[in-house]
Amino acid sequence: MKHSDTIVIGSGLAGLMAAYTSVRQGKTVTLLTTGSGSLSLNSGVIDVLGFDGNHEFVASPKEGIKSLPEDHPYKKIGMDMLEKAVDEFLAFTKEYGFPYHGSLEKQIMVPTAVGTMKPTCLAPQSLDGAAFEGKSKVVIVGISGLKDFYGDIIQENIRPLLGENLSYEVVMVDAGLEGGRDVTTLDAARWLDQDKGMAALVNALKPHASGNAVFLLPQILGTSGESVAIALREKLGAEVIETTCLPPSVNGLRLQKMFHQALMKLGVDIIEDTKVLRAVTKGSKCTAVVAQAAAREKTYEADKFILATGGFYSGGITMREFEKPREMIFDLPVWFVPGEENWSNEQLFSDKPQGFAKTGIRTDESLRPVDDSGKVVFDNVYVIGRNLGGYDFCFEHSGNGVALASAYKAVMM
Amino acid sequence: MSVCYKLFVYFKEHKYYGKQKLSGKGEWMMEKATVVVIGGGATGVGILRDLAMRGVDVLLVEKCDLVNGASSRYHGLLHSGGRYAVKDQEAARECIIENQILRKIGKSCVEATGGMFVRLDIDDPDYEPQWVKGCADSGIKAEPITLEQAFRLEPLLSKHVVSAYLVPDAAIDGFRMSWQNVESAKRYGGRFKTYREVVDVLQQNGEIQGVTVRNTITGEIEEIACDILVNAAGGWAGKVAALAGLEVGVQPDKGTLLAFNQRITSHVVNRLHKSSDGDIFVPHGSITILGTSSMSIPDPEDTSTSREEVENLLSIGEKTFENLRDYRMLRAFAGSRPLYMPPGGASGRGASRGFAIVDHGKDDGLKGMMTIVGGKFTTYRLMAEKISNQICEKLNVKEPCRTAEEPLVPEVAENDKKEARKYFPAYGTDLAATRLGPERFSRVVEDLKSHPEKRELVCECENVTLAEVEEIAKELSSFQINDIRRRTRIGMGTCQANFCALRSAAVFAKCGRDKGAKDSLGQMKQFLQGRWKGIRPVLVGRTLREIEMTRALYELSFHVDGGKKA
Repeated sequence: MKHSDTIVIGSGLAGLMAAYTSVRQGKTVTLLTTGSGSLSLNSGVIDVLGFDGNHEFVASPKEGIKSLPEDHPYKKIGMDMLEKAVDEFLAFTKEYGFPYHGSLEKQIMVPTAVGTMKPTCLAPQSLDGAAFEGKSKVVIVGISGLKDFYGDIIQENIRPLLGENLSYEVVMVDAGLEGGRDVTTLDAARWLDQDKGMAALVNALKPHASGNAVFLLPQILGTSGESVAIALREKLGAEVIETTCLPPSVNGLRLQKMFHQALMKLGVDIIEDTKVLRAVTKGSKCTAVVAQAAAREKTYEADKFILATGGFYSGGITMREFEKPREMIFDLPVWFVPGEENWSNEQLFSDKPQGFAKTGIRTDESLRPVDDSGKVVFDNVYVIGRNLGGYDFCFEHSGNGVALASAYKAVMM
Repeated sequence: MSVCYKLFVYFKEHKYYGKQKLSGKGEWMMEKATVVVIGGGATGVGILRDLAMRGVDVLLVEKCDLVNGASSRYHGLLHSGGRYAVKDQEAARECIIENQILRKIGKSCVEATGGMFVRLDIDDPDYEPQWVKGCADSGIKAEPITLEQAFRLEPLLSKHVVSAYLVPDAAIDGFRMSWQNVESAKRYGGRFKTYREVVDVLQQNGEIQGVTVRNTITGEIEEIACDILVNAAGGWAGKVAALAGLEVGVQPDKGTLLAFNQRITSHVVNRLHKSSDGDIFVPHGSITILGTSSMSIPDPEDTSTSREEVENLLSIGEKTFENLRDYRMLRAFAGSRPLYMPPGGASGRGASRGFAIVDHGKDDGLKGMMTIVGGKFTTYRLMAEKISNQICEKLNVKEPCRTAEEPLVPEVAENDKKEARKYFPAYGTDLAATRLGPERFSRVVEDLKSHPEKRELVCECENVTLAEVEEIAKELSSFQINDIRRRTRIGMGTCQANFCALRSAAVFAKCGRDKGAKDSLGQMKQFLQGRWKGIRPVLVGRTLREIEMTRALYELSFHVDGGKKA
């Protein structure tokens, strides 16, 4: 039977950050994961807090967090831990060659696939809308046959945001990817990973390049790191910037790849394709978890367990019948908003948070699960990321920030 | 107060229009038709087709898109009549006759699933012989089968089934059937206008002069002159009649349904008991619809559904299929049946599912106005035939009705389909052929052939190509993505528009004729909001998962709400 200091369950952003932080603290870490995590669906930019409870834009996440309600995960995590988590993450991305930048003081505006600008806190340079500043020409670059990138609507919607004093054009580039199955951003990114792809793109865009131009591209600037973005910027002598996109999210995958490289290097035992079924407990302690491997069940012991299995999307929390939510491994008490009228808002895109989205586990200040009376359920189980209750990550634009900060804190406890 | 009535009052008060203008300077070129039909549901389009085929100059007006009311908000069951065999044998007989006719004229709209009636151990055993006799008396073939056969045909059936029969029920696509009626009518010169709400009925000296309609998108008012006005507004028929100062007893009766993301049954499965809520399952393509409830409501616009209604349907439905709750619900939806209430009649399930034609010339002294109410989708053609006969008599048109013989749309040539299979996703060809009809289909195939990039799927769930979406987006009757949805089925499958909302908004912005099409963010939001309405009441289980993704993509990653804010 295998014993580790820490077991992390789940390999989304929260799980990966927890495993990384933990191994850096000198712990032996086992990461158990069913699938490949949700980063291929995640923009991979770190939103900390974009909008407050009244849906007002938050100019400084650090300030905005102060006005959040007491039961919000950030309030349990605390500003100190959030700041340290941000520092740890920025240092990690720098060390492993795909640096993010930004700070808790202000927002970075990221262009989206529909031509809006989305606030985030930390992002790689290739997604930072600051590139538009002081420029006079926006060249929107489409790739022939690439699905889910529509230059025309981006142009139409981004114009009022950036201003009419800039000029706009849409340029289509033939990457020779057509003729087979649907072409995704990942296909185009792989094309640009190769020298001949890069050369072809530079050739096609060069005539439109000038020092005061910005090229706005789908998320295709390489499958890892920022080398493709840097090379293209140099060769064109102009700014290049990517949009967020429909899945697969190339940027989410870049971040995932970098985490995997770090975890492998640092000796984290990553066990994939294994579904944790239940916990073995003794009093208020968890001693092990039992997981389903290919042929049989396997038991993993540890001193500390970090739960990062996600919410409704990833199946960490389910609700087969109304008002009966379940956490699937430890059977932890799951908090939810009762009453049909509070469960969801009439508008999908609403001016207030959606009740159902706040479903999750409540914790003490150390991020250990608590029951309705506030009593800690397990002394050595910590809950992070989307498993946490009390916040609507879509409404607030806060998901990845909560993931990073809660992961960091759980490790430090 | 309904929107319709509020507008009516508003325009009356502001003298925005009226007979003064109509008879005043006479400078307007007024649109004219011999017959104007109000209501673009199955009955309305059936009348449009019937009259057009007999050479009558006919125009249909609809306040929304076609097939937006009860003609699509039902379970899509082509009744064998078995459901009415005990209570209402006249309706049962009409059903079985029309069932055979619709299979013949609307081949591509009917999925010949067959139907099964099952009695559970909790159901009244005395009802069974009555039902068997009722079927025999109504001419419906009800073939008893053994339980072993029943479980082989429907393996998920509850083991509490004690007897089973096969009947000639089928699934029918209300959207497609109705649009094919319109296509057929157009070939004979029939016209239609959508998003035109009737706000006044024009009459002079006890005779119909025409109607005033408001364009619900632009707000423009126009008048249409006619000799005969047909009120086929379904649940709204009472309101339309009121505009003419008349009273028609129509009780909107709300039926709520659930759509599941799987094909739970392969037959239409009915409970063999006295008709009740939640006792019919109808398989359609890759989904199953469970319905319905029956609730009298004051306003036919009320298509809201609640968790309570969903729970009711589930708890009854799981008697027939015990594992029902393990299937993902796609959405809940509701429509209002236009139940006809003759003075002193019964309501709800007690009310007749039969139909009635009111000649207001005879009954109320308003010459040229008629109302048709009641009935059900299965008998829409018969209803259209009956009222069209009366209209033709008034107009002295001798042409007989031919709607029961002539197919709705010519069949798509096998050669075209063969060609199409080279470009279409394998099983998408026949679906697209039936959705599009021969002319559009051959245009789409040509487009796919010459523009390989248009083979891309806009909607993977329902296999809809870019070429097909463009073809429909270009039509003058497409004002919103939802209008394209009803024609192509985009956004109606597993992902409930998660992926096609962006794509269709982009296509519509490029190809749409209406200027509103350019507002891609607004269109996208409106489209997703339409899906949300049906998802909210079933926001549980795996539906939660799907909506987390919708929000993460559109609210978080695309920030569609943020065009102006940040």
